[in-house]
Amino acid sequence: MLIELLQVVLNGLLSGAQLAVPAIGFTTIYAVLRFPNFAVASHMTVGAYAGVLVNTQLGWPAGLALVAAFLVAGTVGVASDTLVLRRLRPSGPLTAAIGAAALGIVLENIVRFCFANDPRGFDLPVLRDWRVSLGALGQLRIGPQQTEAAAASLIAMAILFAFLAFTRSGRMMRAVADNPTLAALKGIDAQMVARRANFVGMGLAGFGGMLIGLDTSVDPLTGYRVVLPVFAAAVVGGLGSIPGAVAGAFVVGIGEEFSTIVLDPSYRTAVGFAAILLVLTLRPRGLLGERAL
Amino acid sequence: MTPSIPRRAALLGGLAVPFLANATHAQAETIRIGTLTPQTGAGGAYGPPMVKAMRAVVDEVNAAGGVLGRKIELISEDDETNPDAGVRAARKLIDVNRVVAVLGTWASAVTTAVAPLCWENKVMLFTVSGGDGITRLPHQGYIIRTQPDSNLQSDRAVAFMLGQGARKVAYLSAQTPFAVSIYERHLQDLKAGGGQAVGNVIYDASKTSFRSEVDQVLKLQPDSLFLNSYQPDLLVLLRDLFRAGYDGRRYTLGYAANDKLIAALPAEVTEGLVSYAPSPDLDSPAFKQVQTVIGANPDPYSCQTFDHISMTLLAIAKAGTASGPAIHDAVRAIGNPAGTPVTSVTEGLKLLAAGKEINYSGASGPCKFTPIGDITGCKFRFDVVQKGQSKLLQLS
Repeated sequence: MLIELLQVVLNGLLSGAQLAVPAIGFTTIYAVLRFPNFAVASHMTVGAYAGVLVNTQLGWPAGLALVAAFLVAGTVGVASDTLVLRRLRPSGPLTAAIGAAALGIVLENIVRFCFANDPRGFDLPVLRDWRVSLGALGQLRIGPQQTEAAAASLIAMAILFAFLAFTRSGRMMRAVADNPTLAALKGIDAQMVARRANFVGMGLAGFGGMLIGLDTSVDPLTGYRVVLPVFAAAVVGGLGSIPGAVAGAFVVGIGEEFSTIVLDPSYRTAVGFAAILLVLTLRPRGLLGERAL
Repeated sequence: MTPSIPRRAALLGGLAVPFLANATHAQAETIRIGTLTPQTGAGGAYGPPMVKAMRAVVDEVNAAGGVLGRKIELISEDDETNPDAGVRAARKLIDVNRVVAVLGTWASAVTTAVAPLCWENKVMLFTVSGGDGITRLPHQGYIIRTQPDSNLQSDRAVAFMLGQGARKVAYLSAQTPFAVSIYERHLQDLKAGGGQAVGNVIYDASKTSFRSEVDQVLKLQPDSLFLNSYQPDLLVLLRDLFRAGYDGRRYTLGYAANDKLIAALPAEVTEGLVSYAPSPDLDSPAFKQVQTVIGANPDPYSCQTFDHISMTLLAIAKAGTASGPAIHDAVRAIGNPAGTPVTSVTEGLKLLAAGKEINYSGASGPCKFTPIGDITGCKFRFDVVQKGQSKLLQLS
């Protein structure tokens, strides 16, 4: 029984690490622009496609393909914000959120139009799991590729934290997130900060999308399938809080896996979301959020 | 005060006239037939070729002058592999486009949801869904199903697994309306054949990892696994089974283990995977025609929808009227054993125009149906994946 617990916690940590990167992207955009950008799902898909194309067509290794996924999804994010969402933002967060959901569906169908519905796999072998013996307790199963993906997530998070803490752009972003009026008085160009937040946020979504594509395969619904847990992670952690998104991702990841011990796996999603309701009931602003929603 | 009413009525009448004229004009001109297929969602890989096959038939018939002197208009809608979207699309087809038949519903959940709309409005529904409940709905003859029901499919699959030496079979099933009923039928069939079904782990197909589910099912120590999945979740399951080190037998459904899935996975992950599917009639000229439209390896659904549109058009010609009830009454008469055997619609239409009886059989085989709309006989094919290529193991 103990070994099963350890195994599901491990599985949950690995799937939480996958959710964390797009959740950070979502929450970053929320922190700066103050609306939930539901187009994050299709940007995950765009990133996954960028990654799979440079990997299979140009032979780029996974690490470089992740960079491509970040850059392409980030660029698409800036373009879609400039062309569509920027005009909707002044009408309020609800309009912008609905606009973003619509934009997401349009982007998903552009991807479908260009690449059809067929699943695409990365040109990488699937590796057998490591088996780690814990003596009398039994064996733990660890996926080498999931571990690599979790490491890639951690690296992306570390770079983001360094960017926000040590660079001028990062500090400007935090200033706008903290207090837009004060930031404007200080002469910070809000449009430029918005573009950068979109680039970083959607880039991270694309990065996370490709990580999920590496683990499964890539099709036009890649982002859409995981977007609910991604939102949930951001909300549980406290919208707008980056450490919160990370914590939320682990809560959602571990919560869902944990439920498979107690209940039939088909209830996994429901149990995960029941846990989220519980967190929000006890703490409406989320685990690490500053403001109540 | 009184003049205001006639004036308003006149205004309304004036507004309505162009629409009415338009509607009657269009009805006299074309026969409208709807297609409702999954262009997106879990079945998204199948919808496009299904429609392509139907359009090929319509183009051929229109080029030869249409049916009853009228051109055929095919109106295609996407059910998104989702019952809600399916119902919305079916409403549009029935209420707005006034189609006489809806062809090609794929997922059982979608078919079940749109069927009542069809029979209430006396519109024929042709489906490729395998769910058992479908033909048992109170449809008054308005459903025709070209796919064998899941009991017949289960019986054939279990017989095959037992023949390959499977004795202890465990199940991983996507959460669908038939995840339990298929398992129960297998359980019964395996028991009767000296094997046993040791458990059914039902999973949420939208997840991107099934590690915990795989752990649960492997704990049952099966000698074979049956994966009752759709394509996107099967992709993930096969990876997770490989990672977990499972090398035993794996059986699955042909619609999940298609060429696209095999192409998207490394060869070592799919090696030895056996899938089965109701098979089209590979020797039929109609099947060869589908091949020219879709490619060398058409899926069974494209073949079936090719027959859906063919049967619809032949039934309209046989009845002499283009309406749901006319198709309903005539669809079994075009498979008259005493008639001239035909496999091509245009040929069949010519014979019917000359007042002859026909016996149509199509790309999916003989198109004969029970009173509740089930197809009476069907071939099955079993394929195995070897070195990333699907090979025919048995056709029976």
